[in-house]
Amino acid sequence: MKRGHFLLLAFVAVLLIAGTVFAQGDTITFLSTQFNVVEEAEKARAILAAFEGGAVEFVGSEEAAMIDLLKAEAQTGAGTVDVIGALHGTFPTLVNEDLMFDLTELLASIEEGTDVNDAFVQLGRMGTEDYQYYIPWMQATYTMAAHKDALQYLPEGADINALTWAQLAEWGKAMQEATGEPQLGFPVKGLFNRFLQGYAFPSFTGGMVTKFKSEAAVEMMRFLRDDLWPYVNPESINYDFMNGPLLSGEVMVAFDHVARLKPAFDERPQDFIAFPTPAGPAGRGFMPVVVGLGIPFTSPDPEGAEALIRFMLSPETQGAVLRDLGFYPVVSGVDTSNLPEGVAIQLGAVEALANSPDAIPALLPVGLGARGGEINEIFRNAFDRVVNKGEDIQTVLNEEAATLQTLLDETGAACWPPDAPSEGACQVE
Amino acid sequence: MTGRTYEQSKPLMTPAQTAALDAQRRRARLGHNLRRGSIYALAVLLAIWILLPIWLITTMAFSTPTDVRAFPKHFFPIPFSTQTLDFFLNTQGILNSTLNSLVVALLALVISTVLAIPAGYAIARYLFPGRDAIRLGILSVRAFPIVVLAVPLAVVFIRLGMFDKVHSLAMMHAALTLPTTILVVASVFTSVPREFEEAAQIFGCTRMQAFWRVVLPLAVPGIAAAAILTFVLSWNEVFAAILLTISNRTLPAQILYTLDKSGDPFKFAGGFFMLVPSLIFIFFIRRYLFNMWGQITK
Repeated sequence: MKRGHFLLLAFVAVLLIAGTVFAQGDTITFLSTQFNVVEEAEKARAILAAFEGGAVEFVGSEEAAMIDLLKAEAQTGAGTVDVIGALHGTFPTLVNEDLMFDLTELLASIEEGTDVNDAFVQLGRMGTEDYQYYIPWMQATYTMAAHKDALQYLPEGADINALTWAQLAEWGKAMQEATGEPQLGFPVKGLFNRFLQGYAFPSFTGGMVTKFKSEAAVEMMRFLRDDLWPYVNPESINYDFMNGPLLSGEVMVAFDHVARLKPAFDERPQDFIAFPTPAGPAGRGFMPVVVGLGIPFTSPDPEGAEALIRFMLSPETQGAVLRDLGFYPVVSGVDTSNLPEGVAIQLGAVEALANSPDAIPALLPVGLGARGGEINEIFRNAFDRVVNKGEDIQTVLNEEAATLQTLLDETGAACWPPDAPSEGACQVE
Repeated sequence: MTGRTYEQSKPLMTPAQTAALDAQRRRARLGHNLRRGSIYALAVLLAIWILLPIWLITTMAFSTPTDVRAFPKHFFPIPFSTQTLDFFLNTQGILNSTLNSLVVALLALVISTVLAIPAGYAIARYLFPGRDAIRLGILSVRAFPIVVLAVPLAVVFIRLGMFDKVHSLAMMHAALTLPTTILVVASVFTSVPREFEEAAQIFGCTRMQAFWRVVLPLAVPGIAAAAILTFVLSWNEVFAAILLTISNRTLPAQILYTLDKSGDPFKFAGGFFMLVPSLIFIFFIRRYLFNMWGQITK
């Protein structure tokens, strides 16, 4: 009887495997590090269903798994992946391994009909003159979001679309005094390193790397520690997506990636407003995030892959991605009328941010290759040591700057915006 | 009737002694009850420790997203909602990947058990050259970080034409669990007295029959426990599943590893979705474990 059960188990297993359909054939496989969260993946699949050039298999992946898989496919010469979608920061590794097709011709034919953002096209060449490693797919950035109840505590005379960091701190103080709870929230467990790299440092120092241990950087750290952080909800160390704390009412004002704020605006657009991130003494630092599409050499169907990229860059698809997934177009001619209320609110903030006169666009670190994660740790460590551990600011910045310099020297990475271009490896002043 | 009546008889015990005995009995009963009570309390505590999170996941999975975010959480899912669960059920590829997960886990279980039984028996019963080295080798495989193997592993699977196949992932999972399974099964066989086997052989069984009719039935609970280990590992395994499949993803590869990036309602619904099949499986295999406990109490 007992043995019978085990045999039954084996039999069921064999039956199940026989019944499983091995889905292979002329589908185009689209491996993406974006939209790998289940609810986003479902929306992405709905958008891809409109593609007429064949069935598209949308597969979410993590960055490391994607790189490993592409390497393995290159080694064997037998591929399954046709198109990849990944952050700009993923591509340097793929470029170093020489895994990607040159898409210059495809881009030229796309640009016959639609204009693709030139700055992003330039980024897609990864520092080369004429090798288009990826075609920009979509962009995003980080903004602030606030519950409308918070607006009554806004400091007098402050313009919500042109706040300064000092005003944000004042606002946080006023909210805490009125409600008894700290109402500011930051995704410390999430993409907080981007806050430091793209918002705090550029706003106060005008650079990301070169001014890492300057007086302005010391003042910034002092501001974060003494003026801002006392009014930040201590739960922030557990926040990775800020829409949750906003929706649950744990915080009234938050900073995060637009896609990670989106659910709050989708669910209760009447309750929340989006506004540009504040400015510091040096300007309004902000970080545009670029996602690109590329075709690996091992693609079993490069022509289908090209057709799919063409489809992804059409204004209609770009509009659908904006509406449903909250990433912004990289081509002109996208219809932005009739957007859902929440999307329109967020788009307003992003446009205000990008077009503000004091904007300082700060790119994701470029040229660090596989060691891109280390720079994030350096920024996080510096913040953690100053704000949470109370170490001396200048000492911390000097020590972390030395680590940063070593990383830059070893990778030979030249300065990237907002730092001025450099000959050879970027130098911390 | 002459003689002394009972009342008249000299009491066997003085009242003080009786009282002392009563007190002693009471203390003993109290102590017994206390012991019993504390065992029950411990059992209840353990049950709560396991059941409370399951209950929380279940209620939250059947609550509306607004209720999920509210605090304090409801203890019952009122109002009842299948909104987030519906989403999961209707998500493309979820049912398919659930099926894949089941196939992979069951297949891995079968492969691993079929290989582990003879291997474990050999290690438990035979003295052969290199036996210790083999045991150590088995253990050291367990300590090897699979992550450094990522690219070579994928390369081998692609070269052999086994990439993106359900059965090849099952083989991978079986390989991952084999070390543990072999060691567990070996210790189970060690605990079955050799005399039983010898007795069976004296009564005319061949070595194979003795194993099949005497040793194996006694070892079934332990083998079942090892099988559960395999099943659970395979059910939760993400790394190999993501690396070695594209179209035929398992459930964890499809949802689990991104679940921490989802909103709370999806986390609970996804957790519930992951939980139920493994609970059903463990319910099915539970009797073998109870057999083991039954033998101990008998």
